[in-house]
Amino acid sequence: MTTRRTLAVLLVTGVALTGCGGTEEETTEAAGAAEDYPTEDIRLLVPYTAGGPTDIAARALAAHMESELDQPVVVENAPGASGATAYQQLINAEADGYTLSMTALPTAVLNYLSNEVGYTREDFAPVGVVTQVPSGILVPADSPYQSLEDLFEAAREDPQAVTVGTPGATNTHAAETQRITALYDVPLTVVPFNGNAEVQTALLGENITAGFANLSQDILPAIESGDLRVLAVGSPEPLPYVDAPTFVELGYPELVQSTTTFGVIAPAGTPEAVVQTLEDTLRSATEDPQVVGTLDERYVPAEFIGADGLGELFVETEETFGDVLGD
Amino acid sequence: MDSWSGILQGFSVALTPTNLLYVFIGVLIGTVIGVLPGLGPTATIALLLPITYTVEPVTAVILLAGIYYGSMYGGTITSVLLRLPGEAASVVTTFDGYQMAKQGRAGPALGIAAVGSYIGGTVSVLGMILLAPPLAQLAVSFGPPEYVALTVLGILLVTYLGTGSVLKSMSMAALGLLLATIGLDPITGTARFTFGEVALFNGLDFVAVAMGLFGVGEILHSLERTDKVQAVTSKIKNIWPTRKDFRDSSGAIGRGSLLGFAIGVLPGGGGVVSSLASYAMEKRRAKDPSRFGKGAIEGVAGPETANNASSTSAFIPLLTLGIPPNVVLALIFGALLVQDITPGPQLIEQEPEIFWGVIASMVIGNLMLLALNIPLVGIFVQMLRVRAGILAAFALLVTMAGVFSVNNSVFDMWVVLGFGVIGWLMKKTGFEPGPLVLAFVLGSILERAFRQSMLLSGGSFDIFVTRPISGGMFAFMALIIIVSAITSRRRKAVFGRVDPADVDETDEPDRDADRQVSAEGSPGADSTTDEPTGSTSTTPGER
Repeated sequence: MTTRRTLAVLLVTGVALTGCGGTEEETTEAAGAAEDYPTEDIRLLVPYTAGGPTDIAARALAAHMESELDQPVVVENAPGASGATAYQQLINAEADGYTLSMTALPTAVLNYLSNEVGYTREDFAPVGVVTQVPSGILVPADSPYQSLEDLFEAAREDPQAVTVGTPGATNTHAAETQRITALYDVPLTVVPFNGNAEVQTALLGENITAGFANLSQDILPAIESGDLRVLAVGSPEPLPYVDAPTFVELGYPELVQSTTTFGVIAPAGTPEAVVQTLEDTLRSATEDPQVVGTLDERYVPAEFIGADGLGELFVETEETFGDVLGD
Repeated sequence: MDSWSGILQGFSVALTPTNLLYVFIGVLIGTVIGVLPGLGPTATIALLLPITYTVEPVTAVILLAGIYYGSMYGGTITSVLLRLPGEAASVVTTFDGYQMAKQGRAGPALGIAAVGSYIGGTVSVLGMILLAPPLAQLAVSFGPPEYVALTVLGILLVTYLGTGSVLKSMSMAALGLLLATIGLDPITGTARFTFGEVALFNGLDFVAVAMGLFGVGEILHSLERTDKVQAVTSKIKNIWPTRKDFRDSSGAIGRGSLLGFAIGVLPGGGGVVSSLASYAMEKRRAKDPSRFGKGAIEGVAGPETANNASSTSAFIPLLTLGIPPNVVLALIFGALLVQDITPGPQLIEQEPEIFWGVIASMVIGNLMLLALNIPLVGIFVQMLRVRAGILAAFALLVTMAGVFSVNNSVFDMWVVLGFGVIGWLMKKTGFEPGPLVLAFVLGSILERAFRQSMLLSGGSFDIFVTRPISGGMFAFMALIIIVSAITSRRRKAVFGRVDPADVDETDEPDRDADRQVSAEGSPGADSTTDEPTGSTSTTPGER
């Protein structure tokens, strides 16, 4: 604990004590501070630009936290570098629960695995999961491929034949496509685009054979209208809102890592009691109909995933993609 | 959605009180900065970019578009009254407009310019309604090879059309392409030229680079200028042109509308090119070309119509292909990206309120400008009294606060200052920031599309020529290069027809003043991509 924080706690406690008449014993120990948490503004960093899906989720969450914790929650956008800008600010902040960050997996993990960004999983204290957005393999309506097997068969016959557009170079979809090639010996050419919308355009223009993209709100209308067909979804269980089999059902039990998980993290070393408080708040947020409505109920996990679950997800993601990336 | 319901939806968006207010603010700011010689639309939009981030995306574009076409109206006023083009596209207007003013016909000159601008703008809006949706549908089939062709075409035209110095334009475009490679590799995700600096992982921020080169560069440059502008207080009479004036200029307005529309759509086109082309065309068509440069009303009506038409049609490639055709549109592209909207073929379908709302706002904005310009000319002229120093200090403050607010990044503030100094040095040495910024924006699209094409084709270059659209575009480019190489001598004369006779009328000091104005007096306008044609090729002394 540094002087600055001690001072802050002293100050806050002092003010509180003065307010009550100042008879109680002064409690400036960390444990005391953690029990009182929160007593001041909370910063919630968003590693993406304002107006995007993560930002909207963060603001819905912040509103809920404010009413629950009775302290202002300030959403701050620190976009850039696949989240590194925000995470660097996070790990440089005091580990006291007053600076939190939204995070997106596996992008966050892939970024520190492939680039020197100055942090790893060890520098974070996971709090919990907000939403999970599944992915799927898509083809245009009049594609000759009616099933995933058709597509993979064509790729095996001609290794140049099948190109798969992904929404980025460093996100889950590119890595997962490479895993298909590595694990099941299906030669696929990854063509990274800039975001889901560009993959969708390239599919509609039939410039790529297939796309591996997030089944997020922006792409669902094209699926519902029949312009795009989903050959397989990457979630472990079938999705109620997309009529397509899972990879698992099709005989690819390994392919369950393409879901994007949005969660909340704190700096490593945040007192456990504080993380507990935050986890409870997050749990109640994912149960609040108003918050769930904003987040879109399709993407809020049916069963809340807390600090431990998110922590396991970090480890699992690292193990899964560490091999694909090679180094 | 068919066009009719689209237009209705557009008006329901544009007529909300907020958006009406922003159209008004946009066209008002546009007129003001059009009048002020120091600031052009590029610098102003660059400076205001971060502010737009607090409003709805459609409102942001409505505001910025209003500034752009508003400046086309405003630039006319000082060109006619003071022989001082407020922005680059109005340089040609000085030839005949000022002569008309000397003959006591400043009123009709301004009147016909406003009417012509209105007609040009409206024709362009109609063209956009008819052409943009089918073009967007066609564009859905555009794959990476087509984007390679489009971006290369844009970079080629911006360096070639600017006749200042092809070598200088090309070197700036090359620098822009180089700067675009900073950051994570779009295909492999490895960091390039970042020196371990996480702030550089996403590359240099476009907004910061543009604000530095255009905004701060211009501010620094304006502080060096000592010349003061004399405000004119004389009354301007009879603004509404006579029936004869209308008869004389109706052809010029009609041709200017179509010409401006066509040039605006082309990458690298825009205000200056369209107004120069229109002037050249009118002069060639005239029965008595010697009238030009001596107060021919067609010489005002045509170019003023064309520059406004082009400023509207320039939105077509941005909103249908996601390719900004000139620097102003590149900035508006940036404004949309900041709002998490990537313009492209799907925009009309997915964000119809943006496309149709902006179109409807242009109809309203042009009407507002017509209403503003005719009665309020005198008031706008008075604004020339504002001291450059005050304006500069204020603008710098807005810039720094603004750029910080985009990414909450202190690093970006240093980028602005760094590029501000670079922009100022470039101005002093005659390098255009336009090709640099456009190449910087197009460069990242080009690199990604090129490497995607290579992935799709398995490394074969055939993909660029075997696909009909990209093959056609590359053939067109080859043609441009061959033709311009063959006629390289005459190339300079394409717009050259405009000059010697027209400006030779004036005595020497006056001509120097004119050169001063176009080379230095309107550097805000300098910043538009197309400017190179403005300052050099219109000044006979240069060749």
